[in-house]
Amino acid sequence: MNLTQNPELLDRLAASYSLGTLHGGARRRFEQLAREYPQVRAAALLWQGRWSAFSEVQTPVQPDAVVWTRIANLLQAETAKAKLARQREAASKSAWPTLAWWRGLAMAGGLATVAAISVGLWSHQGLRDTSEQKLSALQTQLQMAQAELQAAPQIQYVAVLADGKADASMLVTFDPRHQQLVLQRVSGFKEADNKSLQLWALPQQGAPRSLGVMGDGKLDQLTAQETDVKAVPALAISLEPKGGVPSSMGPTGPVLFKGALIRRDL
Amino acid sequence: MDLIDRVATRDEVALKLLYDQTASRLYGLALRILGNKEWAEDVLQESFLGIWRSAGTYRDSLSPPLAWMGMLVRSRALDFLRRRRAEHLHLNLPIEDFEELPQDKDAQGPMQLVEASEQAVVLHQCLEKLEQPQRQVVSLAYLNDLSHSELASSLKLPLGTVKTWMRRSLEQLRKCMARHV
Repeated sequence: MNLTQNPELLDRLAASYSLGTLHGGARRRFEQLAREYPQVRAAALLWQGRWSAFSEVQTPVQPDAVVWTRIANLLQAETAKAKLARQREAASKSAWPTLAWWRGLAMAGGLATVAAISVGLWSHQGLRDTSEQKLSALQTQLQMAQAELQAAPQIQYVAVLADGKADASMLVTFDPRHQQLVLQRVSGFKEADNKSLQLWALPQQGAPRSLGVMGDGKLDQLTAQETDVKAVPALAISLEPKGGVPSSMGPTGPVLFKGALIRRDL
Repeated sequence: MDLIDRVATRDEVALKLLYDQTASRLYGLALRILGNKEWAEDVLQESFLGIWRSAGTYRDSLSPPLAWMGMLVRSRALDFLRRRRAEHLHLNLPIEDFEELPQDKDAQGPMQLVEASEQAVVLHQCLEKLEQPQRQVVSLAYLNDLSHSELASSLKLPLGTVKTWMRRSLEQLRKCMARHV
């Protein structure tokens, strides 16, 4: 039977195929015909477009405000990453040609030295010194540029910890290269003087592991290994006695803030 | 909507505007597919980062803006469910009743939504003509990419009933939508 001669049937099959309810042999036959006849492909495309409107006709529900906060934070991390990549590219582009130029100059200096010796002038030592000085100054410059790149944080993990009312309260970022967790208070929450905030990794299985205790500043840094946070889906902050509790004990006080830890793939 | 074009030029203000205009609709869609607030929030978040990254390819898709974003949300939501299932964290799909989902107080129907594409208006009108359960069977089949037997088990209905409803609803929708071409 030729499907292309029967527009009614073609339309019915295309509608069902695009909706995803044509199964088994019927589906395979339809796909075979679609490969052979452009009008079959066209009918399927038409219905895919029509059904895609299903995603537009659902009842709207206002999402929690914290979702935008998370998107904005991740966006910021992404923009910072792109900026760093651009800087790195610029550095590798500009540093090497300059070096080549200096090398050329050094070589010229060397040649000049040879020339100087050959004409029996004693100034050659001075010339060599100058070019070596320049070269070493340049190397120092290059090392500094590389060190700066190394020092720039590479944020690979981000978490926004929120309280029960979903108010963002703590921004946590982790830079695996510097093994540095940075905690930033983003709400006005202040624990009592005899209490401390303690950060916990909540692994998929097993008990929470302590990642450290926060100081009372707005910004705090803790040291952590990537293995401590890798594959950990969420972080939490509990209110503990001053100085925190041992990791093996687990959180003893109430969990104040909690949130998913997201890995940013570079 | 030229907002997507502005997003493609890395305009963060445009992304926020786009979010304000469409988030409730896309979140409603994610919630409908996933039936779980937290998952839907994760998918909405990932979808907007996806829109940020791939806004440049929007022009190639030939879709109306909201349909394009809807497809992005739907495929991310379905991926999310597949991953969940693969991880055995979640063996049974919770299908929440459409009517029981929390609704926006000043929810607009698609008719009032300026950005809704013409085909969304047509689909909405044609869906309105179906009985609620029939409507649900077709919506679920599309949105959650469910087969007849998966539909039967999540709706706790006999397979024969699902097949009959599906055939009838599809036929009605097809004829109704053909009239609007």
